[in-house]
Amino acid sequence: MEYFIYRNHTIEPFFNNLNIEFSGYEDISFVDKSIDKYIWCYLPNYKVNEELIAKEIDSYAGMLHILLHKIDKSKMFIVFTMRRIYKVDYQTIDDSVEKAIESYNNQLKILALENPNLKIVDIGGFYDSYSKTDLLDWRFYYISQMPWNPKLSKPFKKWFTRQIEVLEFKRKKCLVLDLDNTLWNGIIGEDGIDGIKIGGDYPGNSFLFFQQSLLELSKNGIILTVCSKNNEEDVFEVWEKHPNIILRKNHFVNIKINWRNKVDNIQDIANELNLGLDSFVFIDDSPTERELVRQLLPSVSVPDFPDHPYLFPVFIKNLIADYFKSYQLINEDIVKTQQYNENALRTQLEVSFTNFDEYLRSLEIKIQIETLNNLNIARLAQLTQKTNQFNLTTYRYTEANLLSIHEDNGLIFGMRVQDKFGDYGLTGLIIIKFEGGDAIIDTFLQSCRILGKNIEKVFIEYILLQIKNLNVENVTAKYIISAKNKQVENLYDKCKFSLINETDVDKEYKLKMENFNYLSSNIYKLHGKL
Amino acid sequence: MKEKIKHIMKQVFELEHVYDNISQLSCEKWDSLGSLNLVVNLEEEFDVVFEPDDIIEMISLESIELKIIEIKKKQ
Repeated sequence: MEYFIYRNHTIEPFFNNLNIEFSGYEDISFVDKSIDKYIWCYLPNYKVNEELIAKEIDSYAGMLHILLHKIDKSKMFIVFTMRRIYKVDYQTIDDSVEKAIESYNNQLKILALENPNLKIVDIGGFYDSYSKTDLLDWRFYYISQMPWNPKLSKPFKKWFTRQIEVLEFKRKKCLVLDLDNTLWNGIIGEDGIDGIKIGGDYPGNSFLFFQQSLLELSKNGIILTVCSKNNEEDVFEVWEKHPNIILRKNHFVNIKINWRNKVDNIQDIANELNLGLDSFVFIDDSPTERELVRQLLPSVSVPDFPDHPYLFPVFIKNLIADYFKSYQLINEDIVKTQQYNENALRTQLEVSFTNFDEYLRSLEIKIQIETLNNLNIARLAQLTQKTNQFNLTTYRYTEANLLSIHEDNGLIFGMRVQDKFGDYGLTGLIIIKFEGGDAIIDTFLQSCRILGKNIEKVFIEYILLQIKNLNVENVTAKYIISAKNKQVENLYDKCKFSLINETDVDKEYKLKMENFNYLSSNIYKLHGKL
Repeated sequence: MKEKIKHIMKQVFELEHVYDNISQLSCEKWDSLGSLNLVVNLEEEFDVVFEPDDIIEMISLESIELKIIEIKKKQ
């Protein structure tokens, strides 16, 4: 896999163009060292309690710190900023979430300064193109916990692909500019130096804006060149004498003013500057010229030219986003960041944990284990139907199936989990069957909501303790490979079971009960309601 | 309409061929995310909006076709 993404919502459709693997929700327990690039995409939850959302955001920052230490410093780690899409304004003013988001984003900047492999992608760059109502479709949020409208997955993918290019410093190097009706309004050969419009009233003022923007680009290291069908002396006169003009002769690194065709001129520029044609962007108001270059020099980028001069601001914004954006935290940002440094660092220390156990402890996880009853049977059957990732055998059961297992003296244990951020409900299931005095773990599954918190270990050990108390000698267990359960392929090894048989489709394990010792953990509050 | 739905399914589930009797049970790629992807593409193609209750019922080619006809009638 090229990418691995850490996330807290359902965002698969937005990244499925990449060769990518997804973490469990809020799961930072696992770092696959073979991955090239890691992504961190955490979004504020849509909950009612503002304080709770804010606390969660603080804890995400803490999780990011922990994870960052585990990731190889030579690997790119792309981190999304956070923004808020949905907020209810009750009468009381509560900006705790806004403050938490601000602090979160500032911490990202600090981390980026300290860790050159950490790159920030501003989610705002995508959000800004849409209204808040477009960004979120509550139907899909409630059906799949999808935080963004899945209809935007295509433009999102395009946008994010571009952001990765920016992070990899892929950008165009050279602009080839036409002059008449491109850098100024009018045609110098016909209208004369007094007739062309730049500066002053519309449309001159919008051409002025365009030239100023191009000057900014040149300051950012983009090479400006000219390719225009004109008499050289006319243009030189404008550059020397026109009072309002911004871009003058010295701003252009290469100048081709002649009556030859533009394809040849662009090729000459490329040769003279020793640049590949794929580094070039060509801007010309004439559709014919653009088409000619598109046809004959397909590696040159040729954006459409705006239909009206007042559209220059939109044109330049897209031009930069599509071709010239470069990744760097600008100086002002860094200064601001340093001011934040002291304050933020203090709050950051409160939420950052020195180790993973401490983080887990801070979650105040409560686990309750219960046996099959009338109230949980429907949900437990549903868990067998829906759970794919953390599911050792992927046996699917109906309510009737569960009842008959129960009647055949099988044991069915459900697990409820909650932490300080909320109640996850019934999210785990273990089914034990008995055969010839041995116990068999028929089913062991957990919903992906609670993965990455080592809860599975607490769950299985508690169940093994119950089995031990029944004076069972051996427990056997199976891992059956499915398309989606690779993440648990070594689970029983980790739980100290011995592998007794392995085939292409499954692995069989055994645990001698005399070798099993129950160790209670002080990280979780465990409560058995059996 | 059936052919259009099948065409969308082919793309969403990355299938070589879509049979008339395709259903969520018989198609491995038709999981909950696949289902959602399908809904999004069907909504765009047929210019309809499915309610969550509709989506739960859309588990086969047949049920999807009926559902779209039903919604189109109400429009």
